[in-house]
Formats: sequence, C-alpha cells, structure tokens
Amino acid sequence: MNKRVLMKGNEVIAEAAIRAGCRFYAGYPITPQNEIPEYMSKRMPEVGGVFIQAESELAAINMVFGASAAGARAMTSSSSPGISLKQEGISFLVGAELPAVIVNMQRGGPGLGNISGSQQDYFQAVKGGGHGDYKLLVYAPFNHQELWSLTMRAFDRADEYRNPVMILADGVLGQMMEPFTPTDYNPPELPPKDWVLDGCKGRPPRVIKSLYLGEGELERHTRKLFSKYKKMKEKDVLYESYETEDADLVIAAFGIAARVCLSAVRMLREKGCRVGLFRPITLFPFPEKEIQEIASAGKRFLVVELNMGQMVEDVKLSVNGMTEVSFYGRTGGSMIFPEEIVQEAERML
Amino acid sequence: MSTPLRLKELSKKEDLLTGGHRLCSGCGAPIIVRQVLLAAEVPVVAANATGCLEVSTSIFPYTAWKIPWIHSAFENAAATISGVEAMYKALKRKGKIDRKIKFIAFGGDGGTYDIGFQSLSGAMERGHDIVYICYDNGAYMNTGIQRSSATPLGANTTTSPAGSVIPGKLQPRKNLTKIMAAHGIPYVAQTTPAHWRDLMTKVRKALDVDGPAFINVLASCNRGWRTPTNTTIQDTKLAVETCYWPLYEYENGRLKINYKPKEKKPIVEFLKTQGRFKHLFSPGNEHILEKIQELVDAEWEALLREESLYSEEG
Repeated sequence: MNKRVLMKGNEVIAEAAIRAGCRFYAGYPITPQNEIPEYMSKRMPEVGGVFIQAESELAAINMVFGASAAGARAMTSSSSPGISLKQEGISFLVGAELPAVIVNMQRGGPGLGNISGSQQDYFQAVKGGGHGDYKLLVYAPFNHQELWSLTMRAFDRADEYRNPVMILADGVLGQMMEPFTPTDYNPPELPPKDWVLDGCKGRPPRVIKSLYLGEGELERHTRKLFSKYKKMKEKDVLYESYETEDADLVIAAFGIAARVCLSAVRMLREKGCRVGLFRPITLFPFPEKEIQEIASAGKRFLVVELNMGQMVEDVKLSVNGMTEVSFYGRTGGSMIFPEEIVQEAERML
Repeated sequence: MSTPLRLKELSKKEDLLTGGHRLCSGCGAPIIVRQVLLAAEVPVVAANATGCLEVSTSIFPYTAWKIPWIHSAFENAAATISGVEAMYKALKRKGKIDRKIKFIAFGGDGGTYDIGFQSLSGAMERGHDIVYICYDNGAYMNTGIQRSSATPLGANTTTSPAGSVIPGKLQPRKNLTKIMAAHGIPYVAQTTPAHWRDLMTKVRKALDVDGPAFINVLASCNRGWRTPTNTTIQDTKLAVETCYWPLYEYENGRLKINYKPKEKKPIVEFLKTQGRFKHLFSPGNEHILEKIQELVDAEWEALLREESLYSEEG
C-alpha cells in the first residue's frame, strides 16, 4: 500500500507524468503553473528525460510536436493566455495525429486577466480552441488524487487515440497542497507506435503531416479523426454522481467548482433538501447520456461554473428542453462559496 | 533648451513614475524608468510588456505613470508601440496633431530577448520612430526566477537549478545588444542605472534620432540575484568595472565604448556578491568561473578591437 503524501497540485501533475513515462517536457513561465516546469527541470535529468524551457509557448508546443513525432511521451503545460498561444500547435498535433498531454492551469481572463483560478477556458478546451474541426479528450480533475490518476490516464489515452489530451485544471488546484495516495502506474495494452519517425533504415519511410491537398483527401482525414471522437464518446466518458437518485434538483459542476458544490449539497441535505451533484470528469467526451437520464426522470439542473456560463450550454444540449436548466457562475478569478450555491438552490426548490 | 544633466537641475523636474508602486525595494527597473523619463525633454508615450514593471506599477485603479501608458501581452510591446507610433504619424500627416511626441517601449529580458524578440526585430526593421528599452535583470523574475536567454552562464534559477551534477545554467547569455546593432538601426546602446549620466545621455540620443533605437539596461533584482536590497547601484557598477556589462553605443553603425575601467576587475568580484552564483565557489566548479572570465574577456577584447577599427578610419 502506497503512503499518502502532501504535495502541491502542480507538482502532483509533474511527478505523475514522469511515473507514466513522460520523458520530454517543454514549458515556459506563466503563473499559476510555474511549479510544473520548475519541478521538471529538477526531475527530468534524474530519470534521463529532457526538460527544455522554450523561448515562448509557441516554441514549447512545437517542441512537443517534434518529440512526439520521434516517439516520446511528451507534455507541455501553461495557463490560459499561454494556452491561447499554443492553439496553432495543438491544431497541428491533432491534424498530424500526434499524442501529447497539454496541461492548462486556468487563470482569469480575458486578456492578461489575473492569476487566480478560473474555469473560463471550457469552450477553448472542449470546442476546439484552434482552427479546424477537431476535439481534444479533456479531463477535469477536482482533487489531487485525480490530478495524479488523470495525468497518468491522459498519456495512455493520447497514445491509444494518437490525439492530444488536455488536463483542464485551475490555479487553485495547482497552487494548493493536499494529501493524496500516489498509486503505481500500470501500463495498459496499447497499439504499437508503428508510425514513429525514428529512422527508416531497413523499412519504408513514414510520413507525419497535417497537409492534405488532394481532392477529397482532407475530408477523408477529418472523418477519420471524427471516428476516433466517436469511439471516445462510446468508451471514455467519466463522471461522478453524488446523491442524485432521490434528488429533485441536480447541481452540475466540474473541477474546483464541483468541490464547492459538494459542500453545498451536504449543507442542503442537512436542511432536508433533496439535492444531488453530477460531476463530469471528461468534458469531451461529455456525459450526455447520463445527463439525459437525469433529465428524463424530471429532475431540474443547476449548473455552477467559475465563468459566465460555458458547460451549461452542453448540459442544455443534452437535456434538449426536457427539464429546467439554471446557471450560477462567478468569474474573473473570484472564488465561489457554498452558501451562495445553497441560496441559489433554495430559490429553485 | 534641454535641462542640463546635473543632479541639481534634474531634481527640479517632475518625476513621471511616482513612488507608491509595488516593485520591491532595491529593484533596478523603476530607477531606470525614472532616469529615462527625467531625461526626456519632449512628451513621451510608453508601451509596457507584461512583467514586474507593468504589474507592479498599474494595479487598477492606481497607476504610477504620469504619462500616457499602454500595456498589452508579454510578447508584443514593440508591436503595440509600432501601432501607436504609426497612428501618430498618420494623424500628423493629416494635420490633426502637430506636437512632437516620442514613443518608448519598456520590456524585461524575458519579454525582449525571448518571447518578444520577434516583434522587437520586426519593429526595428520597419523603422518606426521608437525607443525600445530593455531592463535586463537576467531571468523571469515576475513568475519566480526562471532562466531566460539573458541569464548568465552558471546562474542558479528555478528552471536551471544548481545541483550536485548540473551547476546552474549551462549556456552563456545571448548578446542582444550586438544583435540589435546588427539590425543597422540609427542608435543602439548598453548602460546601467549606476551610470545615470551615461544612461540619460543615451536616452536623449535615442529620442533624438529619427528612427528606431534600442537601449539595453542592466537591472539588478534582489529576489533573483540574491543580493541585499541596498546594493543595486554597487552591483550594477561592478558589472561595468568587471567588463561583464560594458558601457557602449552604436551611433549609425559606429561603435564607441563609453567607459574603460583603468583596472578591469576580475569577474568573481561581480559574481561573489550574488547568491545565484554561490555554488560556483564550491570546489569542483572552478572551471565555470574560468569559463565566465573567458567569455567576459573575449567580449571586451572584441569590443576594443572593433572600436579601434573605427579610430583607424579617423
């Protein structure tokens, strides 16, 4: 049995990546994720891996592109404005079908915004922040245990689908310390990396590209990408339900907002209110079916986010008019309090 | 007539960067900015790249700037000021503005040597009438002392940590002043806040030229350099006395060294006062100290040789 340890969220991600076999990390300074590159600069040389501090976010994501094409388990991390700069590279990774893990420790925006935690990059992460028709598999951890396990899982899924995976956390999770159990990494059965550009002596050369100029070629390629997203929807949806069965009202929230909502649900239950929590862990693929089931049982939704209303649109699409969906959000790096949610829920009940 | 560069006269001028900002005591950046703005004799508009200087002087609703000031992202102070200057020229052409106004961009070394280099180089090549001033403290201090391409060889930073195997940063710093000189712009210079008269003379020359100018100013950072808060001037002066940071300028492509120490101090004099180099004085790291001395000597001798070429021409 592994011992519980106390670590800072950013360092949890960095160590989990190394345990999962990440041997290439390129990053660039931006608050509140600096502990990831700092930790990597110390740890990577110890495990024979590569740490590079790039001259910009653009350089970092494209270093990941190169390392991934050469077969490495590669990762980069940043926070909101830096993730915006990486978008072209992310789109290229998807187009070229290269696996990579991208961490966004969100901060308040738009613009330079501030450096507090936020959830304002949901759309950017889930709807395809860069150009072109594409999806990332997006994990939304809500505690350090999940930062650990989802980081490991992210590398496996990236390799399985040959598609970048994003970890969408936030400055609060990144900066806070809490105990968790660092479980062992068990590598799953994965398809062989028979596409890697590692020297073609004795075999035909391979091509990795995202440029398709031939008639109908790009459409075929895009449809192939979408067959992967379909598969993700079938087998990679993750979520957690808490006391939703007898609930009249279900609060839906992800990441750090879900933690606050959990406290609110407990407070409401003590008052005798029948309220539950539904927490998507994958934001793409989104747990549409599970939300439909809740909606078809006549339960209403209160979506709570640290933004002006982003995931609420996906909840509404899933509910498709079957039941009432309300929204409560705080934005610009402001933290939400359980009492606010309690008040909002009571107003609805 | 411009204010003589004498303390008595300068002290009568209004400070255009006020106190009450939130930069650390002993920070080199605001000392530099105050000297720059005191030197200016025409109205100036400033752009400021993201960094300590920008964050700490402009926490809304307060501002320490008594001049028009514009902030954009990390990588584009030079692009932003290019836009402002181009608009000024357009308005002037149309007769909607007749005052002479000058444009200055401030950036730290991260925002200038690294992520901002593309927009800086572009602005210089297009020939905007701007002055770009880099305050170079040799790392990303605002985000917690990460290495930059201005970080000197051997320095301990949070992403070039000194340990038992790797002795701090493995690469020498980029020579940005020379790279800017290679752009062939009218004026390029290097100075420090310890040499206030030199700095202010250079700022006046830079503002005076019609076209782009670049000044690289060494700034100490007591958080990153691991120095006391009251040695900023001593530390930056030592950089010049050891020829780590020579005072020189390129006027229309001609190099002039503005100060030659009578006795060039060994580089360890500069290094030993700073905690970021502490590990270099442990046994086993002597070769790095030697290497740093070699780099300093080579740069200084190359400068002397280059200057002598121009004096031969007469």
